[in-house]
Amino acid sequence: MSDPRIEGYAKALFEIARAEGSLDEVEDELFRFARSYESSDALRNALTDDMIPAAKRQAIVEDLLGGKATSTTTQLVSMVVGSGRGRDLPAIIDVLVARASSSKNLEVAEVRTAVVLTDDQQARLAAALANATGKQVNLKVVVDPSVLGGIIATVGDTVIDGTVRTRLDQLKARL
Amino acid sequence: MNALLTLGWFVAEGDDVYVDSEGIVTHSALWPEIAEIIYGGLASLIIFALLVKFGGPPITKSFAARTARIQKQLDDAAADKASAATEATDIRQAKGDIEAERARLLAEADVQAEAMVTDFHARLDDEIAELQARAVADIATARTRGSDELRAEIARLSSTAADRAVAESIDDATQQELIEAFIQKVGASA
Repeated sequence: MSDPRIEGYAKALFEIARAEGSLDEVEDELFRFARSYESSDALRNALTDDMIPAAKRQAIVEDLLGGKATSTTTQLVSMVVGSGRGRDLPAIIDVLVARASSSKNLEVAEVRTAVVLTDDQQARLAAALANATGKQVNLKVVVDPSVLGGIIATVGDTVIDGTVRTRLDQLKARL
Repeated sequence: MNALLTLGWFVAEGDDVYVDSEGIVTHSALWPEIAEIIYGGLASLIIFALLVKFGGPPITKSFAARTARIQKQLDDAAADKASAATEATDIRQAKGDIEAERARLLAEADVQAEAMVTDFHARLDDEIAELQARAVADIATARTRGSDELRAEIARLSSTAADRAVAESIDDATQQELIEAFIQKVGASA
């Protein structure tokens, strides 16, 4: 069960994005920002440091996303960071993405690969995951070099792992 | 004294008459008249008897008192001497006791010192044994820790090397093959 505050923030962001009419785009941008936030210690520290004034943290967000994301996405992230909930940003965004997918009767499928997938690969992968899980999926691709090669897909509680990283780890464990 | 007077009278006996410069006539140029000798002798005896009678007891008493005082002094001296001898004996005995006590204390100190040295050696031996045991344990621990750390470092380096080797061996074509294989496998797993 999620934290009620995280649920509240996610619901607010979801409603704002939907009201702005850019839910899909905002949802995708927020998802990618959340993954960048998780993988960057410097960004995480800058946005969660209570010693840095809220206005300066918001300025950092606007510098990062300005021109690269929609103004709605920038404003939503800035609002969360400015309200001192920077630490909860990935969780809020994940709940928002799940809510957005659910509104379209889709299941979020987080896919990690070492290289960027083409549109064709993404479409075929979405179809394959839908075929495998029996659910229509909202594919979210994260480029993660640590997987080395292959793909790992997470759909709800189901994890399908075909990465070189996992095979290498299994080999190391056996050795 | 009478004998001397008699002897003087026979020596001076004679019929000669002597007259001195003042005109006094005597029968001897050396000796007085016989009557004078008799009276003088009697007077001497009386004086001597009086002296013996009245002067003797005080003198005797004085001598007795002096004798008693001297005797008392002798007795006191003897008593002092005896006391001194006793004291000397006591001092000698005390000295002997002191010597004995000194010897006893020295012996006791020697025993205590010996006991302390023995105890110190025993404790020193124990401490040395304990330090040696601890050092051996520390060495063993350090050896184990070093071995573990070395093993972990080798494992980490091996893992890093393996990751790097694998990452370098996967080119774009291999990446695409892996992705396509995954899509086909997932698609076929309905």
